Amino acid sequence: MKRLLELKGFCYSYGNIQVVKGIDLYVDEGEIVTLIGSNGAGKTTTMQSISGLNPVSGVKGEIWFDGERIDHLKGNLIAAKGLCQVLEGRHIFSQLTVEENLMIGAYTRKDKKEIQKDIDGMYKLFPRLEERKKQDGGTLSGGEQQMLAIARALVAKPKLLLLDEPSLGLAPIIVEEIFRAIVKIREQGTTILFVEQNSNIALATAERGYVMQTGEIIMADSCENLRNNDEVKKAYLGE
Amino acid sequence: MLFQVIVSGFVIGCVYGLIALGYSLIYKASGLMNFAQGDVLTLGCFLGYTFYTLLGLPYWLSLIITAAIAFFFGMGEERFIIRKLQNKNVLTVYVVLATISIQYILQNSIQAIWGPNMLSYPRVFPWNNVTIFGVNIQTESVFCIIMSFILMMLLQVFMNHTKFGTAMRASALDAKAAKACGINPSFATGVTWGIAAALAATAGILLGPIYGVFIMLGQTIGRKGFAAAIMGGYGNVIGAIVGGVLLGLIETMSAAYWSSTYKDMIAYGLLLIFLYVKPTGIFNEKALNR
Repeated sequence: MKRLLELKGFCYSYGNIQVVKGIDLYVDEGEIVTLIGSNGAGKTTTMQSISGLNPVSGVKGEIWFDGERIDHLKGNLIAAKGLCQVLEGRHIFSQLTVEENLMIGAYTRKDKKEIQKDIDGMYKLFPRLEERKKQDGGTLSGGEQQMLAIARALVAKPKLLLLDEPSLGLAPIIVEEIFRAIVKIREQGTTILFVEQNSNIALATAERGYVMQTGEIIMADSCENLRNNDEVKKAYLGE
Repeated sequence: MLFQVIVSGFVIGCVYGLIALGYSLIYKASGLMNFAQGDVLTLGCFLGYTFYTLLGLPYWLSLIITAAIAFFFGMGEERFIIRKLQNKNVLTVYVVLATISIQYILQNSIQAIWGPNMLSYPRVFPWNNVTIFGVNIQTESVFCIIMSFILMMLLQVFMNHTKFGTAMRASALDAKAAKACGINPSFATGVTWGIAAALAATAGILLGPIYGVFIMLGQTIGRKGFAAAIMGGYGNVIGAIVGGVLLGLIETMSAAYWSSTYKDMIAYGLLLIFLYVKPTGIFNEKALNR
């Protein structure tokens, strides 16, 4: 199997404060992998560094994507290589319509004619977006915004989709809907790495998982093994 | 008489509108007020004069070259001064102060290059006046109004119906998300500054044949364009145009029917009242800190 993403001894510092302390992590093509851990563990910093959205001056170690070293590339160039992220807090363009948001998602694509077809595909995945396609993104509910954020990343046809806290601030019923969509996206062949505070749903959805604590990865295993691990049960699954 | 007053109100109002558009674009993209905006108009006026009068190029060609030079000037201003300061995370007022510095440097440079005297364009069109509704209007005035509206419409189409225009709006709304979508937000911001400068310089070359060419031309217009941008709703593109035309009309009307000495007092007295009554501008931009 092809190694799509690999972090080797990756560290990240804000000024003098090191928040990620040398982690190793990989994602193979076709996998769905989760990164769990409590608040402040360094998950979002890791995700945004992979996407080149943090100042590169704080990066140490290596990040490889699709056979290429990307840790010193600008975020827009990384996105153009097919590594797309749904940001924590959704970050949809509030004063652009749903349709415009999706068009921007396809910004890096050259095959103009195929784009509309893929946008229609997104409307099939999330029918509620089609009903609201002429509305400004800012008028959508939290759940719809999350759907839009995911759809926006998907129309770029990414090789690897990163999702940062897709359940954040959403009602349980909406969370289930979002995760059903994530499973479907994965079945359609997109490789996924996601960060999630809701460890129950994360370990039920992914195949492999990493547990992060204060800037380090303390466990890496299949989700089945992690679910049965006493330490994980106590600290993250509330059992 | 009334019709002529309305036409001259529209001429200066359109120019305010073009300047105000620049303020709005820059505010949306960088969250700043750019004091040099009016003086780019002066620069455009002098550049146009140079290409058209001194070098004898056709007017339309002078207009295009002037706009192009101003575009790169605006991009350079953002790239080499504004962004450098913003990257240092200084307070916004420092960056605004930098634009004041640019304003005076620009004014002085223009004086150094072209001298302090007032210059004038020769006639642009072979016929002096056009007759509309039985009233004679200076051809250049009509051209200024038509060109302004064409530019405003082109900008509207570019911002709302092209891929790059949409990307520019996206970058202005959320630079991080834009980057995650593969857009280079710095480049988008630079282009925004370039367009703002090109609009101002074009206003200058349109206004030159009507008002004459002098160093302080842009400074006053720049401030009034700022007023127009706020009246329309700061950051709102349609509002900038409406605010500009409205301010131009109020000013010209006060001068014609009330007092030309106190026209500014009247217009800006009204502006103060307006600010108090409707701080969000005509088009309800988010002006209140809440």
